[in-house]
Amino acid sequence: MNKLIPIAFTVFLLLVVPAALQSSKIFPYEYKIEELENGLKVISIPLNNPYIISYYTVVRSGSRNEVEPGRSGFAHFFEHMMFKGTKTIPLAAYNDFLTKLGAGTNGYTTDDYTCYFVVFAGRENLEEVVKTEADRFINLYYDEEMIKTEAPVIEGEYYSTVSNPGRRLSELLRDTAFEKHSYRHTTLGYLKDILDMPNQFEYSQLYKKRFYAPDNSILLVAGDFDHAQLMDYVRKYYGNWQKSNYTLVTPVEPPQTKAKRAHFDFPAKTAPMIAIAFHGPAYSDKKIDKAALDLLAQTSFSSSSPLYQKLVIEEQKCLNLGASFSDRRDPYFLVFNATLKDEKDLPYVEDEILKELERLKREPVPEDVLADVKSNLKYSFADELGTTDGVAGMLAGYISLTTDPETLNRLFDLYEKVTTADIQEMAKKYFNKTNSTVATLTGGKAK
Amino acid sequence: MKNNANHSLLGITVMALIFMAFSCAKVSPKKLSTELLPLQGNPLVSFRILLSVGSASDPAGKEGLCAMTLNMLASGGSKTLPFKEIQKKFYPMAGYVGLLVDKEMSVFVGTIHIDNLDKYYAIFKDMLLDPGFREEDFNRIKTRQLNFVEKTLVSNMDEQFGKEILNLMIYEGHPYGHQEAGTVESLKSLTLDDIKAFYKEHFLQGNITIGLAGGYPADFPEKVVKDFSALPEGQTPKLKLPAQRQPKGLEILIAEKKTPATAISMGFPIAISKASPDYFPLWIAVAHFGEHRQHLSLLFQKIREERGQNYGDYAYADYFIQGRDKFPAQNYCRQEQYFSIWIRPLANSNRHFVLRQAIIELKKLVEEGISEERLELTRTYLLNYTKLYAQTLGERLGWQMDSHYYGYQDFLAEVQKRLPTITREDVNRAIKKYLNFRNVYIAIITEDAKSLKEALVANAPSPIKYANPNMPREVLEEDKTIQIFSLDLRAEKVRIAPAANFFQKSGLPKTE
Repeated sequence: MNKLIPIAFTVFLLLVVPAALQSSKIFPYEYKIEELENGLKVISIPLNNPYIISYYTVVRSGSRNEVEPGRSGFAHFFEHMMFKGTKTIPLAAYNDFLTKLGAGTNGYTTDDYTCYFVVFAGRENLEEVVKTEADRFINLYYDEEMIKTEAPVIEGEYYSTVSNPGRRLSELLRDTAFEKHSYRHTTLGYLKDILDMPNQFEYSQLYKKRFYAPDNSILLVAGDFDHAQLMDYVRKYYGNWQKSNYTLVTPVEPPQTKAKRAHFDFPAKTAPMIAIAFHGPAYSDKKIDKAALDLLAQTSFSSSSPLYQKLVIEEQKCLNLGASFSDRRDPYFLVFNATLKDEKDLPYVEDEILKELERLKREPVPEDVLADVKSNLKYSFADELGTTDGVAGMLAGYISLTTDPETLNRLFDLYEKVTTADIQEMAKKYFNKTNSTVATLTGGKAK
Repeated sequence: MKNNANHSLLGITVMALIFMAFSCAKVSPKKLSTELLPLQGNPLVSFRILLSVGSASDPAGKEGLCAMTLNMLASGGSKTLPFKEIQKKFYPMAGYVGLLVDKEMSVFVGTIHIDNLDKYYAIFKDMLLDPGFREEDFNRIKTRQLNFVEKTLVSNMDEQFGKEILNLMIYEGHPYGHQEAGTVESLKSLTLDDIKAFYKEHFLQGNITIGLAGGYPADFPEKVVKDFSALPEGQTPKLKLPAQRQPKGLEILIAEKKTPATAISMGFPIAISKASPDYFPLWIAVAHFGEHRQHLSLLFQKIREERGQNYGDYAYADYFIQGRDKFPAQNYCRQEQYFSIWIRPLANSNRHFVLRQAIIELKKLVEEGISEERLELTRTYLLNYTKLYAQTLGERLGWQMDSHYYGYQDFLAEVQKRLPTITREDVNRAIKKYLNFRNVYIAIITEDAKSLKEALVANAPSPIKYANPNMPREVLEEDKTIQIFSLDLRAEKVRIAPAANFFQKSGLPKTE
């Protein structure tokens, strides 16, 4: 294991990105899908770059799964505990293995899933990686003391973001816009719940049993390996992982019936910010709503849009302006946001954004603008595929939604079908005042 | 088994990599250089147009001028196209021009699909060679840069703020001694004429390296060279930098603000860079001590893993900026370097303890060196991990450029060649030669600075409480030593300034 690779390899590392845009499908690589009897799905993408392999484990559990009071931030906390080793390969041995491997390794937690990755050189190391990763997912071991030592690290992670006003605004916006659904809190969670994490040993065991199971996880492997060989290793090492059969029920967010507004006084000097959210649909590669709203965010709020040009480039009242509508398994919100130069312009900028949304209801966006957006999405996508990590990391988000890589091709097909009339229809459907939440943030006087 | 293979692309995906020998060329110091990495069949083309001028060339009183000038190129219009037209034209092709500005070099970066190469390059070229220098762009960019130094840096990103204060301390009175974006005072005084003059003075052929990587046509580099040859010949003389001032004892500067968490950065100048053979053993030592965001880091293990104090703790043998994922970014080459330690934010109640612990760990490194076992572990790690450094077109090109800056054909290949030969004696000799624990600049961002200063000067005990009531005995025993460890600080060595006073003017703010 961990064999050294000859010097000359550095010359050949670059991954050839297929000329994706000439294809009828946006995702240009061949992939294979297999499923073990215990429900573990394996997606493999052998690529043409020698030596590098990206080994991803996607657990379809994120802050969305934190449906019980007092558990906000738990998916992220558990991600930390996943690095504590097993009785077979204890923490020190696990770290020693990854260190010798020289792997790029980490985990991250989102609203919908938690992802663990090991990026390493050398297909001869693949079996050890499969074996070690399988061991920690099946046999993770930690005691109550370890959880009490790790919990304050989350507090430290929270502190590392505490001076970020964008984070504060995001927390406020979620907490105001959502009332029932667990998208109400961020992945880090509420500070009060973070401070209680040292006492959550028993719940952590329940959490693992429910969600860290083969029927809730996907292996995603991209790079230089042989698929059949990979599957041999996976069957050998993951075969005895026990199913969970747990079904999560997430609270249904009730329809919003009146406009909401909230404000955050940031203690230090900072550029004022505004975020305006509207509840929207969940991710779908079949229904036109989400795809049309994705394109709307670009036609009307990208750097080439008339409103951006007006507020950022010409009038210079905003330092930036944008819109985002992240893909989520459950209905999420579409957010329009701006950072301003001067606090006194907050009402003006809010009004300009809302006027633009009203205009979208009245007038279809120009055909050529919509064509530009479709073009931008395709070329931006091609730029992401330069590494095994780029391929796996991008795909991880999509398979967390549907478990099927083909969703990406279906989504881009849907984008192609979106018309200016669809966009107008979606504006009418979703941008109602009673469905809106406005959050603002202004800075105090720094000491 | 479900097989969703996309057969229509099979022919493309199996296309062989055809590398031509990469090349770098400079015919005269006053003329353009090129760094080429052609990769036939790749549908992307990466640009790195490197200017061997950075913020260290800002004239006194005009700090931030280099960044402002280059931002006027990267985020402003050309003579023929206003910036808003450029954005409209770039958008459908997902084109962009990025800019990185460091002390002694700056680089314009961009990646474009081959479908759009000609259209993109025609705009890109004019942005750099025929800038519009419009008043409205100037005002917009100046506002953005002012907002960064006046608000964002001081109020919104304490981890970066701590690193910037450390830079101010290490390079007080030195050309490196200001933030690349400048100061509030200097930025307010800059005029459009200053921008035009700086461009004219420094945008010379001899300062520019044209970096291209990817599937560009064979005659494309020639075309780019021809276009950029319209710039005047000449070269800015290489900066003659003064000696770096070493700290005398522990020199602490506290930036005081209301905050629940304390950020700490510390370090000192070292007379070594990647160009030196000594860099390799020193790199092993520092990776063992504090490899960036890896479990290998001893500091990480002691402060985070054993004690749960914060999110991470790392150390660097030279200036480090994180690029893709956790890998080092490229084109931040400098003549002078410094060693540093980064302690991520922690509860204010534990700040004195963790500061003591970091210095103790540094002391142990200096006094005890590295063990044979840790040397082998770190060596193996670096030999394998560095293989992941250059995966994208831009990264490969960037490393190629940095290799040549430091005098190597291929720095990453050099790593594979040199690291296996390094002995424990080499590493421990490098530690003794370049590192110390007695003379260190320390930047701290925290609240109630006065009580911290009093505790530091009085050498007051700093016990900490753990959530875990059953902490390992060896940790608690070690804590007994840490919590009373003397940092030997006199009152004049611990200075305090309000956070809001930083970056108002050049140099350090007035302290109490």
